[in-house]
Amino acid sequence: MMGGDFTWLGPNPGIHGWAMATAAVVSASCALVGSLLVVRRMSLLGDAIGHAVLPGIAVAVLAGGRLGGPLVFFGAVAAALLTVWLTQALRAAGGPAEDAGAGVVFTTLFAIGVVIVAMAPAGTHLDAACVLHGELAFLPFDTITLAGLPVPRAFASGVVAFLGLAVAAAATWKLQVFTAFDAAAARAAGLPVAALTMGLLAATAIATVSSFDAVGAVLVVAMLVTPAAAAELLTRRLHRMVLVAIVLAVVGACLGYLAAWRLNTSAAGMIAVVLGIEYAIAAVIAPDDGLLARLAGRISLAWRVTCEDRLAEAWRAEEAKRPHAPAATLIESCGAWWLSRTGQIVRAADGPRLSPSGRREAETVVRSHRLWEAWLGRHAELPVDHLHPPAEWVEHHLGAAMRQRLEAETGGRDSDPHGREIPPEA
Amino acid sequence: MILVGIAYNTLVVAAGVAAVGFAAGVVGALCVLRKRALVGDAAAHATLVGVACSFLITGRRDLATLLAGALVAAFVGLGTLVLMRRFTRTRDDAATAIVIGVSFGLGIALVSGLPAWGYAESAGLEQFLLGHTAGLTASDAALLAGVAVLAVAAVAAGLKEATLVAFDAAFAAASGWPVAVIDYLLVALVAVMVVAGLPAVGAVLVTALVVIPPVTARYWTERVGSMLVLSGCLGLAAAVVGVAVSAGRPGLATGPLVVLAAAAFFTVSFLFAPRRGWIAQRLAAARMSREWLQDRAEHARDPGGMPPAMFPDGEPHP
Repeated sequence: MMGGDFTWLGPNPGIHGWAMATAAVVSASCALVGSLLVVRRMSLLGDAIGHAVLPGIAVAVLAGGRLGGPLVFFGAVAAALLTVWLTQALRAAGGPAEDAGAGVVFTTLFAIGVVIVAMAPAGTHLDAACVLHGELAFLPFDTITLAGLPVPRAFASGVVAFLGLAVAAAATWKLQVFTAFDAAAARAAGLPVAALTMGLLAATAIATVSSFDAVGAVLVVAMLVTPAAAAELLTRRLHRMVLVAIVLAVVGACLGYLAAWRLNTSAAGMIAVVLGIEYAIAAVIAPDDGLLARLAGRISLAWRVTCEDRLAEAWRAEEAKRPHAPAATLIESCGAWWLSRTGQIVRAADGPRLSPSGRREAETVVRSHRLWEAWLGRHAELPVDHLHPPAEWVEHHLGAAMRQRLEAETGGRDSDPHGREIPPEA
Repeated sequence: MILVGIAYNTLVVAAGVAAVGFAAGVVGALCVLRKRALVGDAAAHATLVGVACSFLITGRRDLATLLAGALVAAFVGLGTLVLMRRFTRTRDDAATAIVIGVSFGLGIALVSGLPAWGYAESAGLEQFLLGHTAGLTASDAALLAGVAVLAVAAVAAGLKEATLVAFDAAFAAASGWPVAVIDYLLVALVAVMVVAGLPAVGAVLVTALVVIPPVTARYWTERVGSMLVLSGCLGLAAAVVGVAVSAGRPGLATGPLVVLAAAAFFTVSFLFAPRRGWIAQRLAAARMSREWLQDRAEHARDPGGMPPAMFPDGEPHP
């Protein structure tokens, strides 16, 4: 049914192409601006601005502006700057803290916007549903003619907004990076951080208003923050983060639109859901500290500790001239199997014995253990029976350089505080 | 004469919503003092998923069923926040914004999709977006009032602990109080109030019910107890005004009107409150500089003694 043709999209696939292209370009704008909001810890301000542009848009529309037109962009930016100015003015006048102040200002402005929209005369191109979740499906029918081709107005204004934001970001890029990572240092260096922040908030308003008739005022926060936060998990360089965020946003917009069409529901809602799924996948597969990477790191550490403990146990048994202790747990049995498989423990006439390679490994572990005990016994004034547990922890994590320092600091003794020999470095 | 025209049902509903407004103001005051003003917003936007799922599963659309689902979804949303804090390096502000945006998107997708999926009787669920009190019954109002009474009782029971944690969490932790548990309980209580406020104010704006009245009350008082009571009264008044105004205008959602009423109280307080209000602070600043200028002029005429202090209470400039 979903084969090579797109008949399942209905009689006019071009309409969906335009709607999808519009969703993609406005979410790319949001992802670009959102990346800077996320690294500057201003995500919730993005949410506040998403709500607060509503009265600006509503007043501009009542004054004769069109969605996608310059008057509406101006109204939205004015409302966004008003939000920020009011929040800061409240705080400066000894009022509420920043988040509570923003909570007062953006809910109030949004309520004003909803009331204006509800009381607007019939025929105004705004309604409550559009405010809450946009009307992506209707956008392709409102076209302007560019080079003889009918192009949806929202797509054209979205492309202009994206190009403008991209040029502005590229022109101020070094400043953005410096400010994102150390705003105080940037200010001390004499850079115009306050102006940059205001510009970022105006850019947020522009991205919000360009996506307003596609996704509405509430869902825009998902498009601002979610791809950016997912990209932040996937990479640690700001320019790569912006590019990854834009790719995730475009893919999410297209998949979300198609999913909404298949499920016959709100496109804006499904775009937000798909962006959320992308974030969840990023959180699982992120290379450095995704859930899978953390799990793999823990498992490999646990496995190494098990094998090294088995080897050290065997070495101590041979030192005391007793047979190796049998594996007590399942994972110890697995470790024992692996050690004999890799030839570190070999079967002799009188039971399992360490091979030369296994002996070298084991001596390294036991040497780390006993050096640590010797160091603790000399410097930490712990009673002798308290030395073993910390050494049991740390023996797996000491490198050759650290062992050398420990040996120097314990005065080159060749026995640990229990009087047992410290094996020499392999 | 005006009251005669208002139906008995409207009065009962207004009373229930007013009780919710009071309780939300009281709970929100603790939350604002703890500097967690926006924690309710994540819970609020998640509730829509719960409303839709609870309708999908039970097929019923009475208020108690829908709100039970909303409460579960609010806790799931807050739980997601906790998991994101524990298992990812996404910072708190971005995590909150993601929960708000994605859960609201899922809610919108469900509520918009239900009619097309053959659940024609789901019409009306979208009233939880901006709040509509017109459809509430007297038993719904009783349910809301019951929740409100329980929430106020919970605050009264835990007031000392919550105040301690709000003002000095480090001291509370050092004294052996389970700060994390108290914080979780406070957030859970906020989620309950957000859900109770849902029918009247709606998911998008209900966070205002736990933020604006406490911030307003703070202008008038320096004591926790009176701030809680005042905040509750302001929430109550805003709810009553919103319900009364929207009762006469069927096209207007209740939520924005409640928020605008609360915002009006806020604006009056911001301007006119004694001592903390904007005008009072301007007057005090003007009086201070005038007295200081007078002192300086006297000192210039008769240079013996101390130069004028910067502060009017006689202390020298620090």
